Amino acid sequence: MPEPIKTLRQKITANVRVHRFNPDSDRAPHFDVFKVEIESGMTVLDVLQTIKEEQDSTLVFRASCRSSICGSCAVRINGKAVLACSTQVIPTLVDTWKSSITIMPLRNLPNIRDLVVDIDAALEKLYRLHPYVVENPEHIPVTLESENLMSREELKTFDRSTDCILCTSCFSSCSAVAADSRYAGPMALAKAFRFTADPRDAFKKPRLQAAQDHGLWSCAQCRKCITTCPKNTRPAVAIQRLRRLSIDAGIHDTPGSRRANAYMDDVARFGQVNKPFLPVRVDGPKGWAAVEREEHYMQKFGMTHSLEVPTLPGQPDVERIYRHVREKEVELAPTRPSLARCHRPAEAASQPAPVKPGDSAAAATKEKE
Amino acid sequence: MLTYDVLIIGSGGAGLYAALESRREGNVSVAVVSKVYATRSHTGAAQGGVNGALATLDATDTWQDHCFDTVKGADYLADQDSVEIMCREAPMVVRQMEHWGCPFSRSDDGRIAQRPFGGASKHRACYAADKVGHLILHTLFEQGMRFGVNYLNEWMVLSLLHDGSRCLGITAMDIRTGRIHVIRAKAVILATGGHGRVYWTCTSNALGNTGDGPALAYRAGLPLKDMEFVQYHPTGLRRTGILVTEGARGEGGHMLNVRGERFMDRYAPKKMELAPRDLVSRAIVTEVREGRGGPDGEVFLDLTHLGKERISERLPQIRQLCIEFEGIDPVEEPVPIKPTAHYSMGGIHTNDVGRTPIQGIYAAGECGCISVHGANRLGGNSLLDILVFGRRAGRDACEYARRTEFEPVAQGAVEAETAVIQDLMEADGGEDMAQIRREMGAVMGEKVGVYRNESDLRQAVDAVRALRERFKRVRVRDRSQRFNTELTTALELRNMLELAEVIAACALERRETRGSHFREDFPQRDDKAWLRHVLAFSGTDGRPRLEYLPVTITRYEPAARTY
Repeated sequence: MPEPIKTLRQKITANVRVHRFNPDSDRAPHFDVFKVEIESGMTVLDVLQTIKEEQDSTLVFRASCRSSICGSCAVRINGKAVLACSTQVIPTLVDTWKSSITIMPLRNLPNIRDLVVDIDAALEKLYRLHPYVVENPEHIPVTLESENLMSREELKTFDRSTDCILCTSCFSSCSAVAADSRYAGPMALAKAFRFTADPRDAFKKPRLQAAQDHGLWSCAQCRKCITTCPKNTRPAVAIQRLRRLSIDAGIHDTPGSRRANAYMDDVARFGQVNKPFLPVRVDGPKGWAAVEREEHYMQKFGMTHSLEVPTLPGQPDVERIYRHVREKEVELAPTRPSLARCHRPAEAASQPAPVKPGDSAAAATKEKE
Repeated sequence: MLTYDVLIIGSGGAGLYAALESRREGNVSVAVVSKVYATRSHTGAAQGGVNGALATLDATDTWQDHCFDTVKGADYLADQDSVEIMCREAPMVVRQMEHWGCPFSRSDDGRIAQRPFGGASKHRACYAADKVGHLILHTLFEQGMRFGVNYLNEWMVLSLLHDGSRCLGITAMDIRTGRIHVIRAKAVILATGGHGRVYWTCTSNALGNTGDGPALAYRAGLPLKDMEFVQYHPTGLRRTGILVTEGARGEGGHMLNVRGERFMDRYAPKKMELAPRDLVSRAIVTEVREGRGGPDGEVFLDLTHLGKERISERLPQIRQLCIEFEGIDPVEEPVPIKPTAHYSMGGIHTNDVGRTPIQGIYAAGECGCISVHGANRLGGNSLLDILVFGRRAGRDACEYARRTEFEPVAQGAVEAETAVIQDLMEADGGEDMAQIRREMGAVMGEKVGVYRNESDLRQAVDAVRALRERFKRVRVRDRSQRFNTELTTALELRNMLELAEVIAACALERRETRGSHFREDFPQRDDKAWLRHVLAFSGTDGRPRLEYLPVTITRYEPAARTY
């Protein structure tokens, strides 16, 4: 028996605080507050458009696709960088127990006007990390008669990072970008990972060096970028992976990679990190200044400063754990499709298949052993 | 004065590929002028696939099969020699994207994965999850960074400059500063995308798809072709027109009117919700006209009976879409949907290397019309169109630029455009821009929509003309020169109103039903009288002047289009 459909369309009035600034006519940024009638299903972008059409035609913001794929409309809503077109207003009001929402432009980028920022600075950082495939002649056929073969597992290693829409929300949220304007930022570094992990690319070493030079190890792993990314691309995880790829590629002589290697070695030897001695491991002779500062500080309380740490019980297990992890890495490493075999049944994927030397991190790990 | 050998207007798939080809040629100066940053272009919204007879999934597939499917899908209005070119070059451009790093989904043996798509006799849509457009756009952008493509980002083109037979350049406004520039160019490639926004109130298109390229060409005296053909997608979300893909119906979703009835029973009792798109669109419109639609003229897509588990497993993206953009969870309640203007088959008249009647002016992509899509486009062919013909236009434009000298641009171009903007800022303000835009969308959607008839179309032509008159009284109140989006949207509305009149006039003219153009008063296809393209020129009286162009038939004689 067909039942008539009842459409529950709510309407509530909300206050919308919007950041306004026109450098040509305003001395300083300020907020305008608009009263807007919100209907069910309205997004923040709908609200901005309604304000522009009905209340203040000078309100300026970017928008294009309205379907969260172009990345134009990234703004801060109640402090968080999100896409205006996919943020529902009524749930936002309900979640925050308020009758108002505050809309501001993204951080870490110059404000052109109202909610529009200049993204050129973020794109500039992207350019420097060579965010493109340079064809690897070993993998990519010379002619266009056929495509490069790639397995589904290989694609999976970097697939998530291809979802990035360059909206710069992560760049806005990043603590390290705020602190150091030379830092490349999560968007650029995540893209650097995407290409370095792509088996078709022949530019890995120069790109890894470029990442190194632009702050690969400056990420503080605060993971704000992960929280904010509207496409769930997890830039901070890509940065971790990029760091691993850089070590595997032999870029060891940097404070960041020395720190990472020191952690690995110390845990293997002592079951814990030798924190007192770490500055010297990381910074070389300059590290002694930090060690001496520690010694001095401890002496004030009558304590002696040791540069050794006890070996924890359980240390013997560490080797076992490392070996297990390395074996798992080899087992789970993506395999290249064999040109000889045409069809691989799905069951065969569960057995560890031989790894071709060259690209995968697992191969480099093997070499390290 | 800024000077380039080749200027590309628009930074979607066609524009970027044209730019790349030009850059790789080497000794030609090229710039892409776009009112949005490249990766914001609407190419990124394409989800389903890009067609190519790679024969991965179906080893018997050939470009000839692809060609026939395309011609038939076009209801025989496509120019078959151009379709042949597109289908022949398809495997090459798809593989070129892959070589450049586009991360296609893969088959078991590691090749580019393909899937079935509407109207295709064999499975040839090469896909990448549900984001192939986004990935192709980004791949082209990335390679553009590699090869050093120049961009003039957030510049809006105001006019084409020519001397009647040759291209001279353009005038454009830097949106950031409001300053108007003349840019001298030997060749200009228009690649500005579709004009779905003419149907303002219900379209899947981005806000900027306002047909700027066709409007510029039309004002420059170039003809537009096949403008009456607008493809509707039956299921777009009520508020935004964002598409809910056919997969929702494929998984067992039901379409209900406001009474809760599965109304497709009355229109296609066998196929029900999986009848062809145009049939479903017409069914929905009929239900709404006869009073069985919801409060907003919508019908409903009901997935509630599928249950939370099945929806989360098979249709997670659709669920997220409905929640984010409509505020409705399909697990809990039926989703309101309407037919949505989706694709513009018509556009600037070109040949198969993108040339228009004026030397040096080119068009490629959705804003052009060769025609390869005829009266109806197959899914997966739009991405193919932009790649193949973007590339071809780029190459031809470079070659043209190499054997051509610069011509001096006449004085007064900047002043002329400044005057246009000044008029907008000093009009009497008796009319409201948003109101005119809404009315345009409403009249186009109602009278030049899924169903058309003579009386409605005549009313539409008159209504749009009246709106164009009223537009003269719209005042842009924002006086700032800095990033003035009220001004840019006013200029876009001017373009849309011009195209709306052309679309309505061409629809009135074509007295038959073919492809996406359904005439209630002429419900049959009439090859004898109407197997031809309709060209629209800007007439001396401000109204479209229509001419005709024969369709090129090579391999396939027109036959009945049944599926």
